[in-house]
Amino acid sequence: MAEFQNIIIIDSPVYDNHDTGGGTHPETPERVRAIRERLNSGPLASFLKWVEPRPAARKWLMAVHDESYLFRFEEAVLAGQTWLGHQDNQICFDSFDSAVMAAGAGLAGVDLLEKGAEKLVFCPVRPPGHHAERAMALGFCFLNNIAIAADYWQRVYDRQRIFILDFDAHHGNGIQAAFETSAAIFYASIHEHPTYSFPGSGYAEERGLDGGRGATLNIPLPPGAGDDMVLEAVKEKIGPALENFRPEALIIAAGFDAHEQDDMSGLDYSTILYSRLGGWIRKWAGQFCGGRVLSILEGGYNPQALALSVESYLAGLAYDKM
Amino acid sequence: MYIKKYMTVDPCVAGPETTIARASELLVENNCRHLPIVDKETRLLGMVTDRDLRSACPSILTAVQALTPEQLVVADQPVSRIMSRDIVTLSPLSTLDDALLLLDRKKVGALPVLSDSGRLEGIFSTRDLLQAYRQLFGLGERGSALISVRDDGRPRPLSRLVRALEEHDIHFSRISRRRDEQGGTAVESGGGAVIYVRVNTFNLHAVRQALESAGFTLENQGL
Repeated sequence: MAEFQNIIIIDSPVYDNHDTGGGTHPETPERVRAIRERLNSGPLASFLKWVEPRPAARKWLMAVHDESYLFRFEEAVLAGQTWLGHQDNQICFDSFDSAVMAAGAGLAGVDLLEKGAEKLVFCPVRPPGHHAERAMALGFCFLNNIAIAADYWQRVYDRQRIFILDFDAHHGNGIQAAFETSAAIFYASIHEHPTYSFPGSGYAEERGLDGGRGATLNIPLPPGAGDDMVLEAVKEKIGPALENFRPEALIIAAGFDAHEQDDMSGLDYSTILYSRLGGWIRKWAGQFCGGRVLSILEGGYNPQALALSVESYLAGLAYDKM
Repeated sequence: MYIKKYMTVDPCVAGPETTIARASELLVENNCRHLPIVDKETRLLGMVTDRDLRSACPSILTAVQALTPEQLVVADQPVSRIMSRDIVTLSPLSTLDDALLLLDRKKVGALPVLSDSGRLEGIFSTRDLLQAYRQLFGLGERGSALISVRDDGRPRPLSRLVRALEEHDIHFSRISRRRDEQGGTAVESGGGAVIYVRVNTFNLHAVRQALESAGFTLENQGL
């Protein structure tokens, strides 16, 4: 019998306070507002349980970022600076608090997955995180929400083998950099080819370093690539990597900017593709991780396409007939 | 664009009396494939490559202990007997283009770099050339993307494009224009030049708007 699982949504009004200055900046509060509105009014509404996160404690941030960088970020917002490191990374007085709360969502999600009955957690946070490096903001990202959650999951709950799948249109250079020497945290990413796309990393050649060699898998797709190429990559490369790695925990860097209506990448995914991805992820989670999946929002800059893509993804994740 | 910035200075060298056996060891120890042979004043006398050495030493399957008396004689010969003497060289003022053309024409893997007085200053390999062009093209430069724009055939495309990007405060580090294969610029016939720009921003949305304001369109570089 078909069954629809409940999903925990970890959300906070603090995410709306991160003001990127208007103009042509695409990382706006409209993104998370559109997700909220769609999830509350759409067919999934009755299966969703909304939970507030807590701010991430400094010790968890410092596992992934230098303390001097955290101070620099905090001081920049307090001093009224309008960007950090590069003009892409627009900030306002509240941006540090928003970023710490975004990182906190992942930690709250891990706690709920380990202690509660629910198996599926989605965190529609902003600012996003996967481009942020140890001491550098990049590509609208300040704190690496996924890397912070992975480290926390490993250290607090002793889940030694963690698999991170990133299906954002852009390579998650920050996640890769955080774990590229680790054999215990596998990073797999499907993204637009770095020759044509920001941030310019994520070549298939990058397979991890030193002891982590082989625990990084980059699958660059040519501009214009659509559903077929993604599904082939999932079947032929991601699936076998998971089978081989046999993770104890699964984290998804859920970016939706490869959607055909999103002009931040040259990729051409349909809305329904995200259901298919959700279905694969549910299957892998059931096979390896007791069904538990933590998904954290990354990109997705056309608010309407983003909201529908998130809904599609969650439906695929929660419904075993999708 | 001078090779001096990219060449290997103080490369591994040997004298003409060095034995073939020792020269082979030197290449392995220094992880290189080209060995300049110099006199005591570091004036270039010749070059020995790993291929020259392999030709002189017949088989890697022969263990050292099992060398025949004839092979021992070969291993003990000076490299001056097998080195190439007719060497094409570069100077520190040679450009990357000079090096590319020479490496391509001579079909060699590396060229010695000599001062005006004929002393060895360095060695420049195809690998150095790759590294140099990698830097020039910004390959792997964190936080950038290569976009392509169709030249619309109207006058002064590059200056219009640069002005549009600068007016919208979009950072970029490289720009190049490639004519189509027929050398034409006729957009109507599906030809036209392509302009490549390395933009140093994630905000592709803003890049697209800036280009459109100047009458350009961002190309999808798909297959």
